[in-house]
Amino acid sequence: MKILVPLKRVADPDNANKVKIPADGSRIETTGLEWKPNPFDEYALEAALRLTEDGKAPKVRAGEVVVVTFGPAETDTTLRAALATGADRAIRVECKDEELDGLVVARALAKLVETEKPDLVLLGKQAVDGDTNQVGQILAELLDWPMATFAATIREEAGGLLVGREVDGGVYSVRVKFPAVVTGDLRIVNAQSVYSLKTDKAFKYADGVRFAALPAIMQARKKPLLVKKLAELAAGAPVARYLKYEAPPQRKAGIKVKDVDELVSRLKNEAKVL
Amino acid sequence: MSDALFALQNPTEEHHLLRQMVRGFVTEAVEPQADEHDKTGELNRGLLKRCAELGLCGVTVPSEWGGAGLDVCASVLVHHELAKSDPGFTLAYLTHAVLFTNNFFHAANDEQRRRLLAPVLAGERIGAMGMTEPGVGTDVLGMKTTARRLGDEYVLDGQKALITNAPDADIFLVYARMADGSRADRITTFVVERGAPGLSTPPKTRKMGMRASTLGEIVMEGCRIPRANLVGEEGTGLVHMMRNLEIERLTLAAISLGIADRCMDIMVRYASERQAFGKPISEFGQIQRYIAESYAKTEAARALIYTVARDCGPERRNRIGTDAAKLFAAPVAKEVADNAMQVLGGWGYCEEFKVERFLRDAKLIELGGGTLEAHQKNLTKDLVRSAGPAT
Ligand SMILES: Cc1cc2nc3c(=O)[nH]c(=O)nc-3n(C[C@H](O)[C@H](O)[C@H](O)COP(=O)(O)OP(=O)(O)OC[C@H]3O[C@@H](n4cnc5c(N)ncnc54)[C@H](O)[C@@H]3O)c2cc1C
Repeated sequence: MKILVPLKRVADPDNANKVKIPADGSRIETTGLEWKPNPFDEYALEAALRLTEDGKAPKVRAGEVVVVTFGPAETDTTLRAALATGADRAIRVECKDEELDGLVVARALAKLVETEKPDLVLLGKQAVDGDTNQVGQILAELLDWPMATFAATIREEAGGLLVGREVDGGVYSVRVKFPAVVTGDLRIVNAQSVYSLKTDKAFKYADGVRFAALPAIMQARKKPLLVKKLAELAAGAPVARYLKYEAPPQRKAGIKVKDVDELVSRLKNEAKVL
Repeated sequence: MSDALFALQNPTEEHHLLRQMVRGFVTEAVEPQADEHDKTGELNRGLLKRCAELGLCGVTVPSEWGGAGLDVCASVLVHHELAKSDPGFTLAYLTHAVLFTNNFFHAANDEQRRRLLAPVLAGERIGAMGMTEPGVGTDVLGMKTTARRLGDEYVLDGQKALITNAPDADIFLVYARMADGSRADRITTFVVERGAPGLSTPPKTRKMGMRASTLGEIVMEGCRIPRANLVGEEGTGLVHMMRNLEIERLTLAAISLGIADRCMDIMVRYASERQAFGKPISEFGQIQRYIAESYAKTEAARALIYTVARDCGPERRNRIGTDAAKLFAAPVAKEVADNAMQVLGGWGYCEEFKVERFLRDAKLIELGGGTLEAHQKNLTKDLVRSAGPAT
């Protein structure tokens, strides 16, 4: 199986409270925050690696995972982290961050799919900076491929996948035939979430994503990393322009009520939620 | 973080990726077990094995020998990140990866490397290093342990004390003085393997902090080891010892830095949330002094340690820099941990907020791997030796 996994770097999500918006609302400032791989993309990569190996012998690759990112030269680090973790090849689409939005990225990915011909494009359900949750869906539409979103489990079957998504009170299963687009949710990295045809159903992974071992980090530069231009992949695509940024309003302090009667009365008359 | 500060701590992309990997590993695997091992006082062998699986036991060992072939800076950053969660475990790791493995690799011959290195890099055999004795520490040249040749073997007699990992270790790098031969006065390095006749390790020595690492004695009574376990030549032990002390001092200083970073984080979070007299305690000048001075000193320690780390390696001796780094960083960590406790008030003294553990751990770096006084003595000696005439 050949899988394409798009990766995005985001400003350190653990310190998202340090993100600032200047008074003129012209941009979001992330100065001082380290770049990290978008967590959902890391989960997608982990799922892709699981789908292209026998869980018992992960050092032998049984398929190909190609990672792709969009950005300037320094985003190569994001790709090399993925190569060190186990991806086989990398592609960077050279561009500036301002040239991108969900639609542009999806268009460029659709073009890449023409040459790469993957069986599966496996994406994180969303990036934790913009939280737009749209690239996977737009891509499936552009390609006219079957799609399964918010995957919590993936089982490989002959010629396709059985994808489980958690919904209220149960699991909603979708069977897709290759080629397909799947977006992954948090639980995709649980111990028994993803099985390739090669992996024994009794096998249990360690929970979470695998780490890039140091020897693999040292070898990552030796794996192929191809650079393409955004203009070649998404020529003339319009890009969303952001006119103004605003922080959500500060939460006001709460109040204390005397008793249940007062609570009910305030909910009814002031908050108007009852 | 500024670009310059980032680059100082991550000179190459490999360093950056290594740091990211260790951080992920620390969050997932090190932090959750730290309090428990502080309480039980037991070495987490499984965790050391996981470090080995990630390639962390051979950071400074060349790749043709199964390591990563990285520099002192890489070793420093691994210790720095691990110590933010568990300085005690980091000390056990340091002993295994630096005191034993790095030192052994540089001093050993190819036959010894082929025979002994792989299980150590794999974390299957745990290493320790025995220099200190019950009667001699700072004055290491006064060591009493002796070795003598007997046919195809060496016979070692003596006792090593205050040895990290001794109760758990499977393989020891031991320094002894030759009791016979032409270099009777000189110190020699040996590898002693668990199971050697005449070798024993008494129950562990209990201690104030660094409890996730074990400490104990190595007793050698007519202890026989094969001649093939002589490392280098008779009399070359002092060179091995001195060369390794430099990376040892820096990685110990990196533990101090990890402690200071963590205690900074704890005290700043606490001070911004804790209210007294109607406002956050971070608005009180006395609290600001604890925080600001801790920050300035932590940043100074960071700059010094990472600057010296770039200028130190097996081929680049740097005694004065490494002495300065540990001399400065160790008291900084202790002070920052103490300041954090002060900022947290009574809660700082309680286990839940962790600073009491970091304070106990911080003290060790003022003693182990050379006392503050030893660094002061050596550093001044080096300066005086290279000083020009007084005008
Ligand atoms: C937790 C822990 C782990 C350790 N792990 C190891 C290990 O793995 N391997 C190992 O070999 N050792 C280890 N040590 C030993 C450590 O390196 C020694 O404790 C240290 O070198 C000091 O030696 P000492 O304790 O004998 O003190 P001493 O040398 O007896 O010093 C006592 C006091 O006298 C001062 N002093 C001594 N000489 C002078 C001088 N010339 N001028 C001024 N003051 C002086 C000292 O600074 C100190 O204040 C460990 C120690 C501890 C506590």
